[in-house]
Amino acid sequence: MHVVVATDGSQQSLRAAKQLKSFADPTKISDISVVAVIRPLAAVAFADDLSPAERRKADLQAGGFRAAAQSAVEVVASVFEGWGPKVHERIRSGSPATEIIKACKQLNAGLVVVASGGRGISDTVLVGSTAQRVQHYAPCPVLVVRPAPRARKK
Amino acid sequence: MAETTTDPMTDEADDGGLRRSITGKQLFFYTLGDVLGSGIYVLIGLVAAAVGGAFWIAFAVGVSIAAITGTAYAELVTKYPQAAGAALYVNKAFGNRVLTFLITVCFLSASFAASGALADGFASYFATLWEGPPALLVTLLFILALSIINFIGITESVVINMLMAFIEIAGLVIVMVIGIWYIAEGDADFGVLVDFDTGDTNVPLAILAGVALSFFAMTGFENTANVAEETIDPHRSFPRSLIGGMVVAGTIYVLVSMAAALTVPTDKLAKSDAALLEVVKTGILPISNDFMTTLFSVIALIAITNTTLVAVVTQPRILYGMANEDVVPGVFAKIHSSRRSPWVGLLFSAGVVGALLVVGTFAPEVEGTSLIERLSLVTVLFLLFIYTLVIISCLKLRGQDEDDRTFRASTPLLFVGLVGNVAIFGWSVYDDPTSLIWCAGLVAVGVVLFLVEYFLGTRSRPADVERGVPTTESRGDL
Repeated sequence: MHVVVATDGSQQSLRAAKQLKSFADPTKISDISVVAVIRPLAAVAFADDLSPAERRKADLQAGGFRAAAQSAVEVVASVFEGWGPKVHERIRSGSPATEIIKACKQLNAGLVVVASGGRGISDTVLVGSTAQRVQHYAPCPVLVVRPAPRARKK
Repeated sequence: MAETTTDPMTDEADDGGLRRSITGKQLFFYTLGDVLGSGIYVLIGLVAAAVGGAFWIAFAVGVSIAAITGTAYAELVTKYPQAAGAALYVNKAFGNRVLTFLITVCFLSASFAASGALADGFASYFATLWEGPPALLVTLLFILALSIINFIGITESVVINMLMAFIEIAGLVIVMVIGIWYIAEGDADFGVLVDFDTGDTNVPLAILAGVALSFFAMTGFENTANVAEETIDPHRSFPRSLIGGMVVAGTIYVLVSMAAALTVPTDKLAKSDAALLEVVKTGILPISNDFMTTLFSVIALIAITNTTLVAVVTQPRILYGMANEDVVPGVFAKIHSSRRSPWVGLLFSAGVVGALLVVGTFAPEVEGTSLIERLSLVTVLFLLFIYTLVIISCLKLRGQDEDDRTFRASTPLLFVGLVGNVAIFGWSVYDDPTSLIWCAGLVAVGVVLFLVEYFLGTRSRPADVERGVPTTESRGDL
């Protein structure tokens, strides 16, 4: 089975990757593709909250948002290092939900893992978030990892 | 959605993993939409007032200088295709941190002032549809609405961007058709196209004044550097799309100014807040006047919105970059957990633009200068300064980081552009020194942010970490 793990550079997406690793059986997963999507027309095309601070700064200066996305993908991919399945790193460009779904179709994915960052009203009131859209239109089962309740310290 | 095509440069190693999404065609319409929306709907009346019936010349000269500056951008983008723009080029050329900071702040300020001017233009056209609410309220709500739209992320759709560019072009095509219709009816007096009504000033200076005023209409192309990184085959498509977009925009401008000059008396254009609407109101086309007026107003509103959106996207992006460099407080690097938008930067930017509009509305007018004229002039001053430095950087960086695919701008033209930018800058300052106070005010915002970071940012910084090295704490988002 090919599993697509999406990352938007958030801590939550890293937790989602760890969540998958915590229960899934690595012998049943042949490949894992870590996918990041750059949003060219967004205010911040890709925000990497995962890499060490020095790396983030160097990325923005030398390689722009593409380097930031690459670093974030590497951090998430490192979760699965030595776990068994073959790990691929992929960076796409466009609208996140659309590109994640396209990647699932192209890779014939058996599962897609996304993080849902929102706790508050923004997710329910505003037009659907990436996680919601992936849930609605993905061609395969979707694992949505929701954040822990606010009361608990990270 | 965006057509995803395989990028031959980076794709071999990874089976379809690295993809870029902006095609040359999309970049062309992005440039065109961004440039067209900014000025002609807003400023044509002011330019007509300065020059007289021959004001199309001002647009022709202005867009030529802008297009030459565009070639410098195209050359630098093909060398350094990161989504960074002027600050990066100046940093590469001079390596001076103060200058780089200044350029970044100028770019941010230009963007603030441009948003203000555009919001005011929006209010002018809005008033033709519904005169009820006061202009200030309309402008403030407009900025607020765009910030919310930006937060949600609707602006990211390439399709919507293309659609808006088409609508903008359609509006200007309507004006051109009216001009052609008028000529076909045989009523046109072509004498007006060489008529200079410049008062006491001589003709070249009047043209320069017109260029300075119209130059706001040429700006916006610098924002295309934002998407350079995500352009497919940037070495080929970027110069072509950027310069192509500028040339098409210039041609449209000249034709539209001619059409406006032929169909509407110059003094009437000069007095109007929504000057292009006067062309439509002449009733030359055999279509209901009311319908055409409403349609055109809506088109103008969409055009202005499109360009303002790009500015509203740019501001938090600059602040985000600066926060990561640790020259403004780390809170501007704060990204909303699920929408992935830099919401602090967005809010702050909307606040600054709102403050500009409020101050501009209640500040005493100088020699009858309107708010829109003031803010567009401030934008132009900042951008001319940036353009000048970008051209110098382009010349200075010759011979560095070049390969076969680098686009090379014509050196003599770059010098012409340099002289042009400096001349317009000089005239604008001479003509309206008050603008410098506004510029200083906007730069002060950037300096204050720096000082806040400098004095208060240290508290959260571990003792062994030097300034300029962002720490997790100073980012404030983890």
